[in-house]
Amino acid sequence: MLACVRSAMLFGVEGLIVDVEVHVSTGLPSYTFVGLPDAAVREARDRVRAALLSSGLSWPQRRVTVNLAPSGVRKSGPGLDLPFALGLMTASEELPAGVLDGVGVLGELGLDGSLRSIPGVLVMVDALRRSGAAAVLVPADNAAEAALVGGIRILPARSLAEARDALKGEGDWAPVHAMPSEPADGDGPTGDDSGPDLAIVRGLAGARRALEVAAAGGHHLLMVGRPGAGKTLLARCLPSILPPLESEEALEVTKIHSAAGQAICGRLVRDRPFRAPHHTASAAALVGGGSGRPSLGEVSLAHHGILFMDELAEFAPTVLDALRQPLEDRVVRISRQAASVTFPANFLLIAASNPCPCGLGPPDCHCSEANRARYRRRLSAPLVDRFDLRVALGPAAPGAPTGAASSLVKERVAEAMSRQRARYRGRRWRQNARVPAGALGRAIPLTPDADQALRDVAERRGWSGRGMAGVHRVARTLADLDGCADVTPQHIVLAAGLREEVL
Amino acid sequence: VNARVATTFARLPGIDAERAEALALRAVRRGTVVMTPGDPDFPIADDVPHAPAVLFLEGQRPEVLRAPRVAVVGTRAASVHGLTDAWELGAFLGAAGITVVSGLAIGVDGAAHHGAIQAAEAAEQRGEPSPAGPVGVVATGLDVVYPRRHRALFERVRRFGVLLGEQPFGVTPERGRFPVRNRIIAALADVVVVIEATLKGGSRITAERALDYGRPVLAMPGSRRNPAAAGCNALLADGAQPLLDPSDVLVALGITPGARRLWSTGPAATKRSPASTAAQSVLKALAGETAHPDQLASRTGLDPGQVALAVEELVALGCATRDRGFVWAT
Repeated sequence: MLACVRSAMLFGVEGLIVDVEVHVSTGLPSYTFVGLPDAAVREARDRVRAALLSSGLSWPQRRVTVNLAPSGVRKSGPGLDLPFALGLMTASEELPAGVLDGVGVLGELGLDGSLRSIPGVLVMVDALRRSGAAAVLVPADNAAEAALVGGIRILPARSLAEARDALKGEGDWAPVHAMPSEPADGDGPTGDDSGPDLAIVRGLAGARRALEVAAAGGHHLLMVGRPGAGKTLLARCLPSILPPLESEEALEVTKIHSAAGQAICGRLVRDRPFRAPHHTASAAALVGGGSGRPSLGEVSLAHHGILFMDELAEFAPTVLDALRQPLEDRVVRISRQAASVTFPANFLLIAASNPCPCGLGPPDCHCSEANRARYRRRLSAPLVDRFDLRVALGPAAPGAPTGAASSLVKERVAEAMSRQRARYRGRRWRQNARVPAGALGRAIPLTPDADQALRDVAERRGWSGRGMAGVHRVARTLADLDGCADVTPQHIVLAAGLREEVL
Repeated sequence: VNARVATTFARLPGIDAERAEALALRAVRRGTVVMTPGDPDFPIADDVPHAPAVLFLEGQRPEVLRAPRVAVVGTRAASVHGLTDAWELGAFLGAAGITVVSGLAIGVDGAAHHGAIQAAEAAEQRGEPSPAGPVGVVATGLDVVYPRRHRALFERVRRFGVLLGEQPFGVTPERGRFPVRNRIIAALADVVVVIEATLKGGSRITAERALDYGRPVLAMPGSRRNPAAAGCNALLADGAQPLLDPSDVLVALGITPGARRLWSTGPAATKRSPASTAAQSVLKALAGETAHPDQLASRTGLDPGQVALAVEELVALGCATRDRGFVWAT
């Protein structure tokens, strides 16, 4: 007879509903698996057979046909083991018909019949809920993560036998593990370690200011300075001045981290992600991709958070150019023969670089102009143009006083952010840096004085439209930090001062 | 003409009769002037030792060689101050009817050429063409542009002055050729001015050749903290004359009896002083040197925003310039 079990698989950062149909009929014992399974799914047969036997059940000595619908999409991932096994049991009348109606099923089987956790449970459960499932059967280890979805009953099980008993009404579901409120040291992105505090940074007043503006308005920041000047330290301070994710953002980020198979400890990610890929990273590692099913890149893992690229000039030029599209569109579109997916990539880019090959920078640099030009060419002009904030760090000043602590700066940043949210209510963007160039005039009106100042400064420095738009946005953030209703000419001048030719 | 040029080429080392013929044909087609010592227009005096056996000349204004000639040379890794000084000196000399000889390199050389071209162009636009202009001495064949980034500069030098070189067509840039070329710059010049030079740079060689040939050498003093000034300061210690003002060059040429002190009474002194007290104190804190805005903030006690506004005011007034995040007094 026929059984149909509803399940889901990961597709990019979304869950895709997959119906597992199992048909068991009389005939010579045989087995057919159709519906574009990939290698891992095809191997399910051997796992399921062993798991059934280990659980004291039998593999039907009849003709078995399994179909995965929709049949046009390549199925991947290990989560289809359990729906396959339960479908087989229903079709061979091991389970009463109807117990799986309205129940979504997810889980990987071990050869001993135990249920293993799988990545991406959050997004798959969410997809099942939206498809109308009332309950979802998940591995007990994934129960807490599945419970984040809400509005759907979670049925956790530790093994195939336990799931069978509970479905038959002969046993209980496993309890949902109460997650520890504090995760263990150092694991998972939900740790409370938000990096060093700005209070320990001496001097660097200009760069600190730029960091605050970057945090408040979401403007990409390029820091240039000699080795040891404090670029990396400042960047690592950034999480400590950013307010936590809002609940909507937190859900998005948690889904991405779940889909990437990262331990999220069954809690919503509240802290902003901070990703710092090494400069040997490949383009696929940075923006996502890979053959077959495209996987998430660092830009997506940094969604709603920070992507810190230290030694920017050391990254391969092709890798840096791959960054331009996500910087512009805030999403990554990846097309492969097998699938085309869109990953979210709304990140704040913080980059650091040495000023020249000798690393000293002005005024002590003794690099020849030709060497400097060669170094400069590693960063393409269109990429550098996308940094609205570019600062050169001054020489070290060991005796300089330390500045304001992160908590103080964080308050100012949060206040500036809430001003922006109030102003952009009902729009597609929430931060000054995200205002599209076409909407700048309406979204951020300038007084005639400020407009004149902007024109003057653009003419003096010979700027393109992008340069002017960048200063326009940064000036608005400066005004928001100052609590001003209008952008003043001074804000324009200061914003232009934060956009130096630093290389 | 062709036969005479071919004989000249054939006298050069490593060139056989057939190649000399081809080179001569090319020279005639390009309009290249081929000069040998003894020609009435040969620009280098007979008493100069190791003078080139032949000089090739291309450019629209060979008459600039008849004006007094001053070499302005320096390092490729010049500071903002050095570049500004080279440009100003080139423009000053050009306006004074003096030809500027240099090596077309990145840095001081290029800035001096640009200054001279600017003066020549301005004179032409006024309708009274200057007798002077830029002279670029190359270390390669005249058909090679090196550095390639100076392609436009090469064209401008041809337009307002001349290019000179001793190598036949097709000779590519090689490390050893530049010091050899520098002796031509020294030999062409009546006075050699070194704007900024590192201790071991090619400008030292130009200066030494100039001393061999008995040309006055002027060097611009600089801060001991500036690596690009070390060579000039060493020249001064060795007895070069200090260049404190562009008119010092006129004195060295014997054109004017006393210095006019242009830099102390000229543009620098007539700069408008900043209006705001913040800009005044930032200018004072800058002390004619280079500083990062953070340093200016700690010296003046102003906050970074005030310093940024003050710097903007100073730049607008021409009292300062910015380079890669640092502020330079002008």
